[in-house]
Amino acid sequence: MIYITDGSFEGILTAVFEAYDRKEEPEAIVCGDVCQMQLASEIREIVTDESKSDRVYRAIAEKMSGESLENLYRAFLSEHPDCGIYIYRYIKVGLKVGRRVTSYLQNPDVLRINDLNYKVSAECHRFLGMLRFKKTRSGIFYAGYEPDHNITMLITDHFAERLSDQPWIIHDQKRDIFALFNTEEVVFSKGLPLSICEAGEEEEFETLWKRYFKAIAIESRKNPKLQRSYMPRRYWKHLIEKQP
Amino acid sequence: MKLLDKLQILADSAKYDVSCSSSGSDRKNRPGGVGNASLPGICHSWADDGRCISLLKVLFSNVCIYDCKYCVNRATNDVRRASFTPDELCELTIQFYRRNYIEGLFLSSAVLKSPDFTMELMIRAMRKLRHEYRFNGYIHVKSIPGADIRLVNEAGLLADRMSINIELPSTDGLRLLAPQKDPASILAPMDYVRDRIMESREPVLYKRREAFVPAGQTTQLIVGATRDSDLKILTLTEHMYKRFKLKRVYYSAYVPVNGHRDLPALNTSPPLLREHRIYQADWLLRFYGFRAGELLDEGHASFDTHVDPKCDWALRNLDKFPVEINRAPIEMLLRVPGIGYKMAEKIVRARRIGPLSFEDLKRMRVVLKRAKYFITCSGRYCSDVDLDAGVLYPLLSDEADSRIIPGQVSIFG
Repeated sequence: MIYITDGSFEGILTAVFEAYDRKEEPEAIVCGDVCQMQLASEIREIVTDESKSDRVYRAIAEKMSGESLENLYRAFLSEHPDCGIYIYRYIKVGLKVGRRVTSYLQNPDVLRINDLNYKVSAECHRFLGMLRFKKTRSGIFYAGYEPDHNITMLITDHFAERLSDQPWIIHDQKRDIFALFNTEEVVFSKGLPLSICEAGEEEEFETLWKRYFKAIAIESRKNPKLQRSYMPRRYWKHLIEKQP
Repeated sequence: MKLLDKLQILADSAKYDVSCSSSGSDRKNRPGGVGNASLPGICHSWADDGRCISLLKVLFSNVCIYDCKYCVNRATNDVRRASFTPDELCELTIQFYRRNYIEGLFLSSAVLKSPDFTMELMIRAMRKLRHEYRFNGYIHVKSIPGADIRLVNEAGLLADRMSINIELPSTDGLRLLAPQKDPASILAPMDYVRDRIMESREPVLYKRREAFVPAGQTTQLIVGATRDSDLKILTLTEHMYKRFKLKRVYYSAYVPVNGHRDLPALNTSPPLLREHRIYQADWLLRFYGFRAGELLDEGHASFDTHVDPKCDWALRNLDKFPVEINRAPIEMLLRVPGIGYKMAEKIVRARRIGPLSFEDLKRMRVVLKRAKYFITCSGRYCSDVDLDAGVLYPLLSDEADSRIIPGQVSIFG
């Protein structure tokens, strides 16, 4: 049995509810638009239902812990194609062992969620440092990036607190999701409506930063392999210091 | 002089200071202010030498009255000289910070006119940054040896972290290479900073204590400019962690910048492997419960070039192995080569739920390459070779492990 959802977290939790309710063991929980029909498997379409997903949500929080809930949500944001079924299996284990599920690292189903959660958290931390803002002519600071995982909503609090007196936009160009901060609150939306025009002073600061980046490296210790291991090449496109 | 040239000169001359960390402080933003500090620290980029860039690391000035033989900025060297104005420095910091290039400022300086004069300039710049520019991000300041204690105090109230470089591992070395620096002028302020930090952390009723160097103090010493042994360095390190309650000791492999009969020849390459081993041992002291005397002694005064200090220790203490993964106390798990402190914690958590097998460990991503020789899982020995130093040594050497990149400090080993 394959469950097809709308791809939202609530959709997956509804699917978990249905599986328990119908006493079924789904072999996959997939998002509608990526589903490739497998021959000879039955399909059930899941209609996202908040009252059902809420019950699963509360069961996780009460029988496991807030930490489990966070781990599951971050694993969901990894956008791994199998994360639906991984979430289902983790919940199944968690409902058996309770709070201890976060320590149950020898269990492959727990480990899978932990691994996804680790990847997403690591990328979040990386972008707290590697995001680069450019000042635009309108005075808004704009940061475009292309993260592996859907992390935009996980990193905005950090910047709202830190850069609280400047309006900014963080734009996930891969998913065309953006967060806009107007110095009061963060608003999320899809499809960036405006085009980005750099302010006149921008080139000066970018040149200064590039110069600093070059000057701070010790020539006789050059180590490009080590550099890439921390700052993989796929991220360079948006790093000013890595532009010629 | 253009700002771009100043930045070039003053970053170039600050680059031999290796500290880059922005951790340990949780300074909050204020309404109308810019920035805050992040407790675990954040790296923003990695330079071409693979070192992390977290702070804007610059000298306030590289004009120096001292003539330390190992230093690129010594008075008698013919290098381009520059000094920032406080406003230039503040503007650079704020503009870089607003674009998320950096986590804050690392401010050091050559000695301009006198230690007090230099320190006053640095304080003026920091005060401006904190009060006029309302900057609440991270500041790491170098205290200038010989500066008045009142200035050290003032700087400590503005900075998140303070460091005074001990520079050389022995007073003999200091006398030889930096005769104008008095060892007492380095150690006395470190004692003072320790006391002020402890005092500022005592709870007081009804009012908030002024934060004094909330992220603690650190120091740095140069490896390979003098003949001091690894044993000498590690013993000194251990002593300093205890006496000054340091957060970190940084080591910098000496890069020959000046020719002099008292120094290694100009074509000597920096002793990176030696620096790497000392960092590994430093980690063992801070997080793994090792004492310096267990790792090195008079008969064994240098680290092995082929195996890391933990493996080296294990091979000399094979009677303590194998360790049973399901029962050993965490202190002993931490001594198993290949098991880092994060992994040790995971093992302890997981085994409370059920016994761990060799396959479980593999699945949990324990790096078994080295560990497998030193452990049993529920009584089962997991490797097919004998627990014998002669057999194990070649299997444990770095050459057998292609993942190690020189210069990288492994925090998992």
